[in-house]
Amino acid sequence: MTDKILIAFKSIGKNKNRNFLTMLGIIIGIASVICILAIGDGFAHTVTKGMGNHNTRNKVVIMYQPTTDDNTDGGFTNNDEAVLEKIPGVEQVKLASSVVEAGAKAQYKTKNVTMSLNKQPKHLKLVKGDYFQMSGASNGVYISEDLAHKLFKKNVLNRLISIDGTVFVVQGIYHISDMNYRPDAYVSKTIFKQLFANQISKDEARLSVEPKANKKWIGKRAVKQMKKMGEQKNIGTYKVSNPDQVSKQFTKILNDITYFIAFIAGISLLIAGIGVMNVMYITVSERRKEIGIRRAFGATSNDIRNQFLIESVVLCVIGGVIGIIFGYLLVAIINAFLPFKAVITAYALILSLSVSTAVGLIFGFIPSNKAAKSELVGLLKEE
Amino acid sequence: MLKVTNIGKAYGKFTALENINLEVADGEFLAIMGPSGSGKSTLINILGLLDQSYTGEYLLKNKNYKTVSDNFLSRIRGDQLGFVFQNFKLLTTYNVYENIEIPLIYSKKEQNNKRELIEDVIEKVGLKGKEKNRPSELSGGQQQRVAIARAIVNHPNLVIADEPTGALDSKTSKEIMDIFTKLNQDGTTIIMVTHDSEVAEYAMRTVYIRDGRLYNDEKSVKKS
Ligand SMILES: Nc1ncnc2c1ncn2[C@@H]1O[C@H](COP(=O)(O)OP(=O)(O)O)[C@@H](O)[C@H]1O
Ligand SMILES: [Mg+2]
Repeated sequence: MTDKILIAFKSIGKNKNRNFLTMLGIIIGIASVICILAIGDGFAHTVTKGMGNHNTRNKVVIMYQPTTDDNTDGGFTNNDEAVLEKIPGVEQVKLASSVVEAGAKAQYKTKNVTMSLNKQPKHLKLVKGDYFQMSGASNGVYISEDLAHKLFKKNVLNRLISIDGTVFVVQGIYHISDMNYRPDAYVSKTIFKQLFANQISKDEARLSVEPKANKKWIGKRAVKQMKKMGEQKNIGTYKVSNPDQVSKQFTKILNDITYFIAFIAGISLLIAGIGVMNVMYITVSERRKEIGIRRAFGATSNDIRNQFLIESVVLCVIGGVIGIIFGYLLVAIINAFLPFKAVITAYALILSLSVSTAVGLIFGFIPSNKAAKSELVGLLKEE
Repeated sequence: MLKVTNIGKAYGKFTALENINLEVADGEFLAIMGPSGSGKSTLINILGLLDQSYTGEYLLKNKNYKTVSDNFLSRIRGDQLGFVFQNFKLLTTYNVYENIEIPLIYSKKEQNNKRELIEDVIEKVGLKGKEKNRPSELSGGQQQRVAIARAIVNHPNLVIADEPTGALDSKTSKEIMDIFTKLNQDGTTIIMVTHDSEVAEYAMRTVYIRDGRLYNDEKSVKKS
């Protein structure tokens, strides 16, 4: 087989210019295939990641929404979890929080302020003080300018404030721009975990359901149960959250784009295929003498057909490989303009090579067959 | 080796061969002479299983191949026959070694000694050291040696040569005929078409063809 491919390379190399022009269509077609798939895969990847990277297939999510904005404490309790777990078809229930910040009350002298807080981020730009990662049980706190003004009327460091009854020292003050959302205060990771994390209300109940379960029914049933028995039913409402719907819309847009570019790719591959057919016809008629010689020395008509088919496929696969390289460059350029990152997957490479091979086989078949079926005596009269 | 009974061939209304009867023994060296257009190539194309559209009966090694599959015919051509043509018919983009290799590519015979087989025939036709040369870098005589090497690399029973010296001068023709003579002495049956009586001298027997009819000696041709 390798020697037959080498023969094909040799024959193709003999007419480099002509064959390169023929490959151009394949190159463009395959480059577009690569782009389509990269955009599609990148898009799908971003969408699923944005949705929490959860396999939503076997999940029903129940959301809890407090009736008033002031009251952010409500949510699901451990008893609620037990109730939900008893619903037929539910395998497991996990409580989670859609927000990661904790709510707390800050106090300075006689002033009381409700505030949000979180564990400190890696980097933070301060308007006052020095930023560093606080060690385990440090009682340092970074607060926003807003909070500082509410508590002290100005930006001052090293004041002692109490947050939910624990005393903290102000280490630094940061500005919250309109563009960036930030909580009112940051404490060390360990402190956050120890004192505040468990206060974050669990406003999401994620039910893992059996593969064959009726998700709609389970959703309705769960909401009904919570409305009746939920421990905090008086200060909030329950409803089924439906991530499927969001992804459906995205998928539709995605599909429209994909179909459009696929249409372009399809047309350029069709034109490329006709080009391949044409060049193979030329090759076959130029090489009647060679065919005659091979036939006289033992080549069967199948051998001849395969030789030209292999040549046609090799031609297309070379084009495909160049197309893939071009696709890589195009995707790199496209990525500079896209809001998400297009990614080239192994699947895209395999598909591209398969498509190239298929074009070679389909459009090379008729010319190769012509070569195989030519009458031998006539072939040997060629010079 | 072969037996031809009452073979005929027509191109439309034109009769190219008529009532041909011929027998060739194993190990024989037969020359077929005749003027241009008399039907020599037509006849040996039939004998070489290159042309299957004829009337009458042709037995090669006592077998009739008239109705066998195309694949089977290819195999017989590759394994049992060897062809030498007037204008060499070498592949111009292949070097000497690669041209000679062609029959081995398609042969079903065992060939783990492929390289050896090729080197062996290259030596036999006196082209050692020219393995890497393209046909365009060789003289006519050398090109015909390549063609002969290609015809015999598979050790065929029968070599069919259509005007092998037609494109060569008389000195080179003699060298080529010496190779054929040696080949015949080693046991290969040879059928050779020529219109050069000097070349025909190398054969054991000569038959004559004119206007598609075969004659066993020159006198009977003249009589007709
Ligand atoms: N394919 C063909 N169609 C019609 N006539 C042909 C064909 N091939 C050969 N002939 C005719 O048959 C006759 C014998 O041809 P050929 O066997 O090639 O002669 P030669 O003895 O020179 O080798 C010639 O008159 C030639 O014109
Ligand atoms: Mg002739």
